[in-house]
Amino acid sequence: MKSRKAIIGALLVGAFFVSACGSSGSGGSGSGESSGGRSGTDEGIKDGGTLFILDHSTGATNLDPQRIYTGADLGFLGSTITRTLTSYTPVAGKAGTQLLADLATDTGTPSDDVKTWSFTLRDGVTFEDGAAIVCADIRYGVSRTFASDMTGDEGPLYATTMLAVEGEYPGPYTATADQQAAYEKAVECSEDGKTITFHLKNPVADFNYTVALLAFAPVPKAADTADKYTLKPVSSGPFMIKSYEEGKELIMVRNPNWSADSDPIRKPHVDEIHWQFGLDESVIDERMIADAGDDQATIVYGGLQPENLQTIFDNETYADRRTDGFDGFVSYTMINIKKVPCLEVRQAFWLALDREALRTAGGGPFTGEFADSFINPLLATDYTPGTVTEGLNADGTPNVEAAQAKMDAAKESCPEVHKHATEDGLRFDHGQSELWAKLISIWIDSLGAVGIKIIDNAIEPSKYYATINKDPGDLMRAGWAADWNNASTVVPELFTKEGGFNYSQNWEDPAYPAFSDKVNLAKAEVDRSKQATMWQELNQYVLDQAWAVPGSFTKAQNLVGSRVRNAYPWLPFGWYNVGAIGLAE
Amino acid sequence: MLIFIARRLLFALALLFAVSAFTYVIFAALPSDPAALTCGKNCRPEVIAMNRVRLGYDKPIVVQYGQYLKGIVKGRTYGASEGVHCPAPSLGYSFRKHQCVTDLITRSLPVTASVALGAFVLWMLIGIGLGTMAALKRGRWPDRLATGFSVVGISLPTFFVGLLAIMVFVIWTGLLPFPRYEGITSNPAKWFMSLILPWFTLAIVSASSYVRLTRNGILEVMNEEFVRLGLAKGLRRRTLIVKYVMRAALLPIVTIAGLDFAALLGGAVITESVFNLPGMGKLSIMAVNDSDLPILVATTLVAAVFIVIANAFVDILYGFLDPRVRSY
Repeated sequence: MKSRKAIIGALLVGAFFVSACGSSGSGGSGSGESSGGRSGTDEGIKDGGTLFILDHSTGATNLDPQRIYTGADLGFLGSTITRTLTSYTPVAGKAGTQLLADLATDTGTPSDDVKTWSFTLRDGVTFEDGAAIVCADIRYGVSRTFASDMTGDEGPLYATTMLAVEGEYPGPYTATADQQAAYEKAVECSEDGKTITFHLKNPVADFNYTVALLAFAPVPKAADTADKYTLKPVSSGPFMIKSYEEGKELIMVRNPNWSADSDPIRKPHVDEIHWQFGLDESVIDERMIADAGDDQATIVYGGLQPENLQTIFDNETYADRRTDGFDGFVSYTMINIKKVPCLEVRQAFWLALDREALRTAGGGPFTGEFADSFINPLLATDYTPGTVTEGLNADGTPNVEAAQAKMDAAKESCPEVHKHATEDGLRFDHGQSELWAKLISIWIDSLGAVGIKIIDNAIEPSKYYATINKDPGDLMRAGWAADWNNASTVVPELFTKEGGFNYSQNWEDPAYPAFSDKVNLAKAEVDRSKQATMWQELNQYVLDQAWAVPGSFTKAQNLVGSRVRNAYPWLPFGWYNVGAIGLAE
Repeated sequence: MLIFIARRLLFALALLFAVSAFTYVIFAALPSDPAALTCGKNCRPEVIAMNRVRLGYDKPIVVQYGQYLKGIVKGRTYGASEGVHCPAPSLGYSFRKHQCVTDLITRSLPVTASVALGAFVLWMLIGIGLGTMAALKRGRWPDRLATGFSVVGISLPTFFVGLLAIMVFVIWTGLLPFPRYEGITSNPAKWFMSLILPWFTLAIVSASSYVRLTRNGILEVMNEEFVRLGLAKGLRRRTLIVKYVMRAALLPIVTIAGLDFAALLGGAVITESVFNLPGMGKLSIMAVNDSDLPILVATTLVAAVFIVIANAFVDILYGFLDPRVRSY
């Protein structure tokens, strides 16, 4: 999943703010966690009223279900206007990651080889105009994911990579009859329109989690306005869009055709949701701190400003309104194995890096904790603290001595790479930003201490991914969060050749084939606890090979109005379960 | 006179054409890739290439500019699978906002016009009022007060005054609600309430220079011989000041005010941002943040159009007021 947060060079996301989900166990004191106190409970909720959302952004990233890939948006829109075949349990904490049937009657039936998954639709599920949701609506919705020229590949592409569609399928707008037939063979509807069957290219043990993504949501063909569908998507949830004006406001009202009996997940309390855009961040903070008038019934999309964090977290007045926790992301630096095929140099790079100085420059402990894994602690089933390179200082300071020893060893074992790192220099690709203008000098200085020469390559953000796709440097900055509660959306995506975001080009490494084989086994493993152990081992494998260097488990902080209730962090999405938020009197 | 007007209008048209070409080329030369901007972060290079062709960004800049001008005159269909048609005058299509740029501008202009008109009236009243008072009470406390206001107003940045106004009147005292713009036709009372703070913010900052201009203008005119002659002949001081001094002193001020007002119509960027008013300035800022080139080009062009029109208007007005300039 992608993030709206400005994490430079970050790729995908999960979540953008979450809290109280347990310790990372990754060292570092962090900023202390807070789950929101009374605001996270349903104490004193009275149905009705308007919930306000203040947002610095100029508008919703997207409202089109097939184009949404931001954790917060997936949770927000999934809890309000867009239903999917499966979704997550609407509670705080780890229990919130439990999959539940949503539009479907159960969480899906796989074939023995987990290459075919079937879901049967509930009775009484409808769109906002009262029309029944049938299999064809879901099949049509999924088909839109293939229309790259329309979606710009903004949403997750699992449908395009997993479904066993024969030949090229360009999406429903331009497909020939044969192409459309091939797609409909891969996504079958039963004659009564109640059962949808997905045929997959390869075994996917957790495909029922995949369909929880809004990319698998229904879209009525007659209402599809292609690129403009994002301005007024048709609701299947308890709310529907009344009006949306970019830069100003999105107003949601209750959907009269939504039936609580058909929905085991959503329990709305408020009558309307007003999402206000384009507000100055400092004004948002001041309003939330002042907590006056409508702001008492307000939540904020985005985090608190760094300058206000100490005030809010040092003062118990805010204890019932504040949250602080991991945002689901891991920042990391990919190492191009084709250009740096030497383990010692890669380990030296990690040991020499002054991570504490980087964190301080970025804003201190509130920004996150030093990561020891590519799997975020929020993926509690799959996360275990990784064993990092021997000699790595837990406090984030560089271990120059250990790093120098690695470089000396590299001079003997791989002199060409040593020469490349110390004489030619390693090209470090990262997004261009004011923060990175400061950070890069820390990279250059700390790695320079062991002779590694860094060549700064700041790339204009809009071109960043296109650039590193075409011409990857020696080192590339990125970030990632899981697409659902399974490291199957982390390890394969980042470190296999088939993964969408593997910039390390590690498939040239002799250590890769064994890794790849084990990943395939893990993807097909239906025993979840066995699978989790396999992901933990694979994560450790990556750490041992130093194909990438983890940076930090990033964190976010937030403050809600004093009348807000049920604003608990919904773990799978990393933000509040907005549709369930109620207001106290 | 007609030839003079025709010449000025032709010049304005040529200037507009030059500005549009220059603006288009400047933005096209920016490092942002418009085709990449139509794509998500996980966009594949082949999709970017496909979109580049579909959007016409693969063509030479001259051809692109020609298509742009054609779109303004005849409308244009943009993009992908299900092409989006924007009727004339089409200023482009924003794949970030999923809307025709002309629609976005049509929605933003009334907001900016509301901000500009109210603020303009206020700052002219404050600026000319205080400036006149300062000139007439030269060296006394009203003069010092007005001059002090002028110095403070000029020194304070708009965002500071705006944020201070929000803090004092909205957050700390709760005297006013946080501004949320409503159209004048849908709710005149809310429209007025949402604009009070932006009007005063802009007025305080902008009036400052007008206080000085007015004061200096009046003092200069009052030293003219015709004023002394009028006084010597027994004209009442009030008549002399209102009918003769003010008229002469305010002429250059009105010219500057016209240009300032035209510039404001292009978007009060900071004021609109601070008060979250969805006007032209806010639209421009959004476009800058999103690297949304079609909107950037269009808002720049629209702002330029206002300036060019105001310039032409002032030139023609001067032709009427002072026949000597018609020969230039």
